[in-house]
Amino acid sequence: MNAPTEAARFGSGHAVRRIEDPALVQGQGCFTDDVQPAGQLFVRFVRSSVAHGRIVGIDCAEALAMPGVVAVYTGADLEAAGVKPLAPAGGFKQADGTPMNPPPKRQLALGTVRHVGEAVAAVVAETREAARAAADAVLLDIEALPAVADAVAALAAGAPQVWEGAPGNLLAEARHGDAAATEAAFAAAAHRVTLVIVNQRLAPSPLEPRSVLAEVAEGRLTVRLSSQMPTGVRGGLVHCLPGQSVDSVRVLVGDVGGGFGMKTALYPEDVVTAFAALQLQRPVKWQAERVEDFLTAVHGRDLLSRAEMALDAQGRVLALRVRSWANVGATPTGAGVAIQLLIGPWVSTSIYDIPTLSLHISAVLTHTAATGAYRGAGRPEAIYTVERLMDAAAREMGIDPAELRRRNMLRPEQMPYKSPMGQTYDSGRFEQILDQGLALADWPGFDARRAASEARGLLRGRGIATFLEWTGGNALEENVAVRVTADGFIELTSATMAMGQGIATSYAQLTVDVFGVPIDRIRILQGDTDRANGFGSAGSRSLFTGGAAAFVASQRAVEAGKPLAAEALEAGVADIEYAAGRYSVAGTDLGIGLFELAQRQPGLAIVADGGAKADAPTWPNGCHVCEVEIDPATGETKVVAYASVNDIGRIVSPVIVRGQVEGGAVQGIGQALCERVVYDAEGQLLSASFMDYALPHADGFLGFKTAFDQSIPCLTNRLGAKGVGELGTIGATPAVVNAVVDALAHAGQGRAAEGVQMPLTSETVWRALRGDYGAADKLPVG
Amino acid sequence: MPDLHFHLNGRATATEAEPATLLVHLLRDTLGLTGTHVGCDTAQCGACTVLLDGQAVKSCSVLALQAQRRTVTTIEGLAGPDGRLHPVQEAFVACHGLQCGFCTPGMVMAATCLLNETPQPSEAQVVHALEGNLCRCTGYVNIVAAVQQAATAMQGERA
Repeated sequence: MNAPTEAARFGSGHAVRRIEDPALVQGQGCFTDDVQPAGQLFVRFVRSSVAHGRIVGIDCAEALAMPGVVAVYTGADLEAAGVKPLAPAGGFKQADGTPMNPPPKRQLALGTVRHVGEAVAAVVAETREAARAAADAVLLDIEALPAVADAVAALAAGAPQVWEGAPGNLLAEARHGDAAATEAAFAAAAHRVTLVIVNQRLAPSPLEPRSVLAEVAEGRLTVRLSSQMPTGVRGGLVHCLPGQSVDSVRVLVGDVGGGFGMKTALYPEDVVTAFAALQLQRPVKWQAERVEDFLTAVHGRDLLSRAEMALDAQGRVLALRVRSWANVGATPTGAGVAIQLLIGPWVSTSIYDIPTLSLHISAVLTHTAATGAYRGAGRPEAIYTVERLMDAAAREMGIDPAELRRRNMLRPEQMPYKSPMGQTYDSGRFEQILDQGLALADWPGFDARRAASEARGLLRGRGIATFLEWTGGNALEENVAVRVTADGFIELTSATMAMGQGIATSYAQLTVDVFGVPIDRIRILQGDTDRANGFGSAGSRSLFTGGAAAFVASQRAVEAGKPLAAEALEAGVADIEYAAGRYSVAGTDLGIGLFELAQRQPGLAIVADGGAKADAPTWPNGCHVCEVEIDPATGETKVVAYASVNDIGRIVSPVIVRGQVEGGAVQGIGQALCERVVYDAEGQLLSASFMDYALPHADGFLGFKTAFDQSIPCLTNRLGAKGVGELGTIGATPAVVNAVVDALAHAGQGRAAEGVQMPLTSETVWRALRGDYGAADKLPVG
Repeated sequence: MPDLHFHLNGRATATEAEPATLLVHLLRDTLGLTGTHVGCDTAQCGACTVLLDGQAVKSCSVLALQAQRRTVTTIEGLAGPDGRLHPVQEAFVACHGLQCGFCTPGMVMAATCLLNETPQPSEAQVVHALEGNLCRCTGYVNIVAAVQQAATAMQGERA
């Protein structure tokens, strides 16, 4: 019997075919809109066309009279029915120390609209077409009011006010670090550099737009939707909908066509769809159009900073000082505020031994869509800031940028290390990662490559980012239920959520490690709040929390089978051994197969639960080196080399993690080179389609060199794994921009090149080469 | 409602469609072939790509009635009758050419059209053929690798 070696090929650390893929490549996935129950109704929202206005009237009479229309709801209808607004953002304070006071997040606007696309009414009809026609027939009378779309304008004297609870449009403030010590360090510094940094607003853009189907059956509300956090969705629905409880609501999630943080939130449209199903006692579907995702799904980033670094004469960083303004939209999400005021700051000093820092961040309301989680969620902004500063300091001092970073890196003997932000890094050998990154990128060979590019009439630049990030969402515990079935499968049920990251395959590999059976015997069940509840999948937490739980639960199931096997084999429990799908009596050839044993049980299954709790977040890190070529005639900028060495601790699924880093890096390249959500001064969204919002296409960069160093396992979870989902995105943006700035500086722009702002489109780069960096970046006063 | 007769995934199919119904909605809503996806409203994303008389088209930009007496192949019609994956599907699995899988049907159909017309494409030709298909997960790296591997496999099958 060669089963052990055969099965082991599918265990952790091996490259395997994903168990998700056979269905997905044949069009047999089950995305939310693929479920089409007979008699389902369709919702269409009537949305504000102005960014700020007073609702004077909503005339639904004509729409209600149209064929196929079943209902039309307004904000007043929801309020009358007792529907509560979404749970407000909280947890932070205003400048005067009082709790922040955000505007209510109503599902349908009541009295005032505060951003373009805000839903004002919802039409429910028998067909998509009827719903669309009737929505067009709802007559909105909205008196337009002055609007403000960016943080600088919102903070100016006399700016239109978004909400009376946030005077001057200042919602909340946070200060971190030691302002006095930082000031003293700056006063004593030999070198100081200052940059204005714009982390522009981005649209997460998973290819599957939001989608929700609500039904009432046997007195319970079932909501099927595309979400990363089913339990959180359930809690939100219970909060909003009168008379509902966690027992009366079931949330189901099938295949999720990408999440990237955007699908962590409960959205107003989800609640309205569920409300309609409860009112009408029929299945109700809402499928977002792409434009609706651009208008009302959360956006990411949107942070404006004045960032300063102080160094001594040897290039040791003495202090970091950053003043930032986060545009969190009109009706902010809790995540959108926390990401900028707390989560990003946690990694501000990155992998560097920076003794002190001072951060001051304001959350600013504007008449735009709310911001929220988007891949990286605060860490891209913070790492971009410190990595841009490192390059500026290297240029200021005439030191090689890799060398300057090396001088400041935390050393292995400093682990565990507590940062000035109070965060404890358990492990990390940053210089070891740097050395490998420089070797992989052929750092010394750059001058020859630059000369070769220049011989072809092209500018060449090189950028580096050495960094870490925080993962885990501070939700460090997971439980998994295991069921070994008589029909020959091992089913694991988890509250984490697949969204394309291949988590089912990774769990299956860990299960193979324990059971020693082929991977096709493993099934992973997720996305059903009647079966499992927990935090869900966000913050790159699923493997090191849920994977550890899958491993523990599998071990428990094997142990649970031992007394059952002892009974079946008429032997003592102490004599029962397990290997490769078979229990046996030690020293004999007596045995029984795992699945045969399950068949003999009263419930036709062997079951066990198991949990795991990590002690702390993980701190994955890397060294990413990018080279770009620029055509000086057009400003066209291309990534031409990208090498990265990554420490994500122990690797369970090598093919998957490479895909995470490289696919993530392309999202980071997208921020660097092409993506930007654009509102005009009146708050109209100009980038509301894939024609106007530039995602990377297949003609971008494909030649990644990606390596992993597995010699530095995480010490705070039993797998030794560190999160991987956001690492590539975080490293890529500064690596690419530093490369472009390097090329511009070398082309005669010098330090002025540091004024260039993302996205580095051809036009932006072309202008920069001619000394045009746009209007000098305005910063608010204070 | 006008009658519509066409060949769908190798079968003569008789149905009916309103003049304004798009092919993608006929496939998904009327015929239950939900493997063809809708990812945008402006014909940019390519998740709805199918083959119409062998040509890759975005089925969100084709009226259902334009398929009259023509041949349509969707992702569901690509695997062999014995269930064996088409070489392009097989290569997407083998090369980790998909993550969430939402863009995948459109990518596979666009790639299949390319390889039917250009059996040994260069990387530049692959990239060009996929310029109308968006993927947010993979960064396209493994998608392009998968198309190239499929080309090799299909060449081997023909040999």
